[in-house]
Amino acid sequence: MDRNYIILTVVIIAAIVCGVIIYSFYSGQTAQQLETLQNLVDDTNYVTSLDSIPEKIISLAPSTTEILFALGLDEKVVAVSDYCNYPYDFSAWIADGNMSSIGSFDAPNMEVIASLDPDLILGTSGVQGATAETLRNLDYKVLILNPPNIAGVMQNIELVGNATGKTAEAATLINNLNSRIDTVMNTVASAESTPSVYYEVWYDATSLWTAGSKAWQNELIEIAGGVNIFADQELEYFQSSAEAVIERNPDIILLPAQGMGFGEPFWGSLDDVKARPGWSTTSAVQNEGLVQVDSDTIARAGPRVADIIEDLAEAFHPELY
Amino acid sequence: MSSDETEITYFRRASRWKYIVILLIAALVAIIIVSLNVGYAQISFGKILAILGKQVPLLDSIVDSSLILPSEAAIILQIRLPRIIAGVVVGAALAASGVVYQGVFRNPMADSYVLGVSAGAACGASFSILFGAGFSFFGLRIVQVAAFVGALFAMFLVYNISRVGSRVPVTTLLLCGIAVNFFLYSIVALLEVIAGDELHAIVFWLIGGFSNVLWSDIWAVFPFIAVGISISYFYARSLNLLAMGEETAQHLGLNVERVKQTLLVLASLVTAAAVSLSGLVGFVGLMVPHVTRLVVGPDHRILFPASTMIGAIFLVICDALARVVATPFASTLELPVGIITMLFGAPFFILLFRKKKESYAL
Repeated sequence: MDRNYIILTVVIIAAIVCGVIIYSFYSGQTAQQLETLQNLVDDTNYVTSLDSIPEKIISLAPSTTEILFALGLDEKVVAVSDYCNYPYDFSAWIADGNMSSIGSFDAPNMEVIASLDPDLILGTSGVQGATAETLRNLDYKVLILNPPNIAGVMQNIELVGNATGKTAEAATLINNLNSRIDTVMNTVASAESTPSVYYEVWYDATSLWTAGSKAWQNELIEIAGGVNIFADQELEYFQSSAEAVIERNPDIILLPAQGMGFGEPFWGSLDDVKARPGWSTTSAVQNEGLVQVDSDTIARAGPRVADIIEDLAEAFHPELY
Repeated sequence: MSSDETEITYFRRASRWKYIVILLIAALVAIIIVSLNVGYAQISFGKILAILGKQVPLLDSIVDSSLILPSEAAIILQIRLPRIIAGVVVGAALAASGVVYQGVFRNPMADSYVLGVSAGAACGASFSILFGAGFSFFGLRIVQVAAFVGALFAMFLVYNISRVGSRVPVTTLLLCGIAVNFFLYSIVALLEVIAGDELHAIVFWLIGGFSNVLWSDIWAVFPFIAVGISISYFYARSLNLLAMGEETAQHLGLNVERVKQTLLVLASLVTAAAVSLSGLVGFVGLMVPHVTRLVVGPDHRILFPASTMIGAIFLVICDALARVVATPFASTLELPVGIITMLFGAPFFILLFRKKKESYAL
């Protein structure tokens, strides 16, 4: 009898101790998890805190969608913009009802967003600035990502990792991207020449637009072992002239072409570019320096940054690859 | 006033007009030469003369071209010269049609775009940008052809809606022009919403410009503009009569309806051709006729040719400014010419108007 009581008492005490240990272990971990959700600072220096790991995420921009999917958050993304086309063809998902669309990138549909009741919304600045403000007034948690450079992309990935409980995945992704970029830098360091590069943003009968030193592409070109012919222009994207391009005589002309889209690019065909008045005098036209790049990859400051740097390095320095 | 005196005053004025026209032609030539020197690439005046001389059949053997780089020749002959000539053609066309519209409507607010030509061109251009990629029309850019057709279509629409029997009252024309403009611009806005990646193309076309114009683009529109302006010039007297009111003009023996209709068709043809080349360059067709009127007076016999030349001069100057005004900020930065025409044109117009407003009459 006594022995039974003693055993029972021991078991009860053991159970309580175990319970306390297990509880404190789990609660400790939850507290630790929650810590990364506090004081999230986005690219507009806005500070956001989340109560729990978000279960429903909306992405308003192609670059933020790419970050979310690169971190393996496929199941949690409930809606994307009509411009999002990577890593999946979301238009097909939307047509099948497996994904919602918030409409166009510059004018997201507020009612769709509200009806999905998201825990977290990711977007970019510029045209989406006003949208972000409206959404914050409606008490939604919004992170605005607009990285000025590659370091900024890495910070963005870390931030999204922290906000979604994917801290470890974010660290792995950042390491992977950094090491790939380092490899390219080491490779092109041995190159004997640095080709001059003209990156075309727009060309038609009315105007010509390109990228200056403040544009994202300037850094990509530099890391890939080239030099932007407009690197001395302290601007982002700007209208310039064909005569400036011809005078600066690029070795490479980078022509963005839509990889997944359809239709003809704004510059027509390579023959059209070669036939532009006066362009035949440039080194690029004379020495087969016309290079097509994927217009999405080169424009989006996202996790495909290493892809585009590798592509550019290969185009600038075919002798090293 | 006896008829002798009238004749004497006319001859006195006519000889003054001759000087004005000679002066303006000289100014236009001077502006073209000066603006050939304006641009990012630093090419000396001597070299420019040599490059141009090389193109003249007999001169080419004398000119020493050994120092000229191929890129410099390309910049002058294939980039700067076409855009200057495009400025001349478009500026002249918009100003000339502006005079005609203001004269026919007897309304100072009328400009080259009053009959819906701009919206029609914008609509045609937007459609072709969205749905016409890859097509060309006898080697011409599809956008240019579509803008031209769209502009003529809009004019046809406005004209037919406002027709009352065989007459086309100016008030109905103006109102229909406004209505059709709004309607067609709403279609442009709709196309912009669904445009996606093509949005840039539409937006840039609407801002207007001719930085990368080709010689073939210019030759395609030149006949329409040259013929349209030349024929319109012979209606200068009729425009003077119309200025007194349609009824008075009719009593003085003018076939008002016929003249009006001919002039409107010619002016719309000229505008449509210009717009198809340059996109929507604003303000030239409104402002240049007024500025010219302030300088040479309201008689269309001088107002029309003077406006045409001042329009050409004005747009060539604006395009040269577009190439250089922003260079202090960044050496290769250009601005859209449509912004310059308004940014510099409007204050200039206001200044001139304030000085002369007492004596101003349409």
